[in-house]
Amino acid sequence: MTSRQRNTGIIAFLAAFIIFILPFVFTFFMAVKSRQEAALFLFTWPSEWHFWSNLVEVVQARNYMLLLAYFNSTIITVGAVALLVIFGAMVGYVLQRRPSGWNKLIYAGVLMGLMVPPAVVPTIWVLQGLGLFKTIHGMILIQVAYGLAFSVLLYRSFIATIPRDLDEAAIIDGAKPWAIFFKVILPLLKPVTVTLILVQSIAIFNDFTNPLYYLPGRENVTVQLTLFNFQSQFQSQFNLLFMNILLVTIPPLIVFVIFNRQIVAGMTAGAVKG
Amino acid sequence: MTAKRRSPYPYWFVLPAAVVFTVLFLVPTIASFWFSMTRWDLFQTEFIGWDNYRQFFKEPFLVQGLTNTLIYAVVTSGAKTILGLLLAVLLTSGILWQGFLRSVVFFPVLVSTIGVGITFAALMHPTKGAINIALSYVGIDGPSWLSDPTLALYSVAFIDIWKGVGLATLIYIAGLAAISPEYYEAARIDGATRSQQFWRVTVPLVQPATVTVVTLSLIGGLRSFDIIWATTKGGPGFASDVLASVIYKQYQAGFYGLATAGNVILFLLIAIIILPLTWWFNKREVDL
Amino acid sequence: MTSVKLKSVKKSFGAVDIIKGIDLTIEDGEFCVFVGPSGCGKSTLLRIISGLEEATEGTIEIDGRDVTGEEPSKRGIAMVFQSYALYPHLTVRENVGFGLSLAKLPKDVIRQKVDAAAEALQLTHLLDRKPKALSGGQRQRVAIGRAMVRDPKVFLLDEPLSNLDAALRAQMRIELTDLHRKLGATMIYVTHDQVEAMTMADKIVVLNSGRIEQVGSPMDLYNNPVSPFVAGFIGSPKMNLYDGPVAAAQGCKTYGIRPEHVVLSATNGTWKGSVRHVEHLGADTVVYLVVPEMGEIVVRVSGDFKAAHGDILWASPVAGREFRFN
Repeated sequence: MTSRQRNTGIIAFLAAFIIFILPFVFTFFMAVKSRQEAALFLFTWPSEWHFWSNLVEVVQARNYMLLLAYFNSTIITVGAVALLVIFGAMVGYVLQRRPSGWNKLIYAGVLMGLMVPPAVVPTIWVLQGLGLFKTIHGMILIQVAYGLAFSVLLYRSFIATIPRDLDEAAIIDGAKPWAIFFKVILPLLKPVTVTLILVQSIAIFNDFTNPLYYLPGRENVTVQLTLFNFQSQFQSQFNLLFMNILLVTIPPLIVFVIFNRQIVAGMTAGAVKG
Repeated sequence: MTAKRRSPYPYWFVLPAAVVFTVLFLVPTIASFWFSMTRWDLFQTEFIGWDNYRQFFKEPFLVQGLTNTLIYAVVTSGAKTILGLLLAVLLTSGILWQGFLRSVVFFPVLVSTIGVGITFAALMHPTKGAINIALSYVGIDGPSWLSDPTLALYSVAFIDIWKGVGLATLIYIAGLAAISPEYYEAARIDGATRSQQFWRVTVPLVQPATVTVVTLSLIGGLRSFDIIWATTKGGPGFASDVLASVIYKQYQAGFYGLATAGNVILFLLIAIIILPLTWWFNKREVDL
Repeated sequence: MTSVKLKSVKKSFGAVDIIKGIDLTIEDGEFCVFVGPSGCGKSTLLRIISGLEEATEGTIEIDGRDVTGEEPSKRGIAMVFQSYALYPHLTVRENVGFGLSLAKLPKDVIRQKVDAAAEALQLTHLLDRKPKALSGGQRQRVAIGRAMVRDPKVFLLDEPLSNLDAALRAQMRIELTDLHRKLGATMIYVTHDQVEAMTMADKIVVLNSGRIEQVGSPMDLYNNPVSPFVAGFIGSPKMNLYDGPVAAAQGCKTYGIRPEHVVLSATNGTWKGSVRHVEHLGADTVVYLVVPEMGEIVVRVSGDFKAAHGDILWASPVAGREFRFN
């Protein structure tokens, strides 16, 4: 490393620290301050540390709403991501392996899914007709519908790297279509599946707009909605609001620290193809 | 000739996904064209033709929502593209702590938009916010970032860029990695300076990444909602309203037909911007 | 009796005819090699026999039974792929036993069969490894093992040696011939390499742009090629082939003489030419002679023959070894 590269690195680090890291430090300080101190908004070192008391208070607020929200968000995320993996891989597989006129139709759907903003009120109308409005499973299916295009593209491009000889060897071994897919292809999709799970989990966990429209009601609250609801409720309790932000930021941080490489792979692979 | 055997790649594999996608995405999208021409309360519809659209292009605050959407999308997309490329070049040049810096720039992409919005709303507070206090140390009297009508939209755009530039950087880093170092070696042997290498080698050869970044960030910018809702709620007045926040406000107010017309306008806006752009990018790629 | 019969098999992809009508019988226990340049349709023909492709017209019989519309797995065949197509996520044992477990055979039967195949192919110590941890030759053997445990009536092998290096390829040629002798099964083998065809086959089928050019035993094809195409394809170095005035002087459309059937002399002979290039292979020496009236002639002589660039030599064909095609 040249001295120029070292000096540039130090300058870049200082700039990155001010621009990207300080806002998180600010959030953390606010979260541990006392109510009065937090109300001052100042970016100062906390004079008293109220980490635990703030944490307990925010968790207990509104009859443990945050725990309910975590529960709901987890169910939505896990359910939607599981379906996205299976459905996305199955469509990507047929799309890549079987050239036909239908593919144009599927591609048109994928393009629409990536580009077209969902028509929210008509969607509510459909959900109501199906009895899925304000339900967790309705929300899961919505996330599946909105995430499919990305999943299909990601899987399609990965499946293109799996030699067709493997399918044919399985055919000769007597495998039925479902066995070729579930016993031969799906296990080989593991790397891209890990990536997809991470990227989609974070997107769905962080989603605010869709639960806002399709999942109103106290008992259906999701993590992002608690934040939004608390914003008005905690007008005078900024320490608790920021503690809430902290709690919402921690899951993606942990996931990011552990799976940095796979997330980066997914973001770029999917994006460059898209 | 015997009967045709079944393909090992049956179409029923597509079926579950197709059903969900059709019912929850395509049907509402197609239905939106009809509902946008009605006065609608979810139970009864009354056909009123183009009235909703007329209103959209006549009411000043709705027109402002439209222009704000365009400004917001162009500003955020432009900044993410340019900053993304510069950061990517910096973060592939082998500087100290390069890997850590990449993570730092990228991490905001993964955190809650609402959380980021609330944090920046506090940092941008006109009197108590850290930004203006820091500016006062150097003698600058900082503005009311989010409550000044002329500034609010751009302040929100700044937060959006802060949160999203990491993704653009990441895509550009992948794009740069795909350029063979031999091009740079050849350019150096030909006597190209650093800036010539950037403009004559990097910029043209990284074009696939540029296409992705521009397209993704434009679509994202045009559809942007949550960051605006978490910071200004479109205010002050309608100064930072965009189509997506207008749609939500009309929905909250019970004007479902009008909200849906807003949806259709947003759809058409994205289509008339993105489709020609993709076509143009594709044409240029063939020329390369 | 496991014969394979093809009756007027045709295959087209859209407007392109890949296989233009093939009638062929492969006898029980025969080692039959399909050989031809790339694009001649040999792999497609093998895939039609396997059932991976469907013929556009014609029928396929295996063991006297019409299998034209049958699933590949019901045809009593097994296939070895050029890329081996081993399942990367399964161990060698699971790879070899995959088809048997799909057929829901009892676990101990599968174990027994896999062990027997592994024993025969010297794979026993590798059974718990994944394909990634194997050498090219070992992967090749696993692919053969996977075919063997199915007890197929017919083995189909699609260029199985083309991914191996030269030394290993020579060794595997012998091993495959041994295996064929031991199993006594019918084998159909596709290759573009005439050496593999000559060294292993009982019967060679030479294919050229979707048609059978000639069928016969290796020596049959060498001694009695029916066309310049077969003559040029079988044998190395290639037969010298001449059209135009040279052939006309011999009273035919194409005149051919193999390099090993030309003798050189410093003093007299049929054609006088100058040496362009000499290749010393050790046992043999290959001389490239430029003869003004016919162009170049390649001659194979014994290794101790002395010649250098620019030498003037006389070449003469060995009587009875010339070919005249019309």
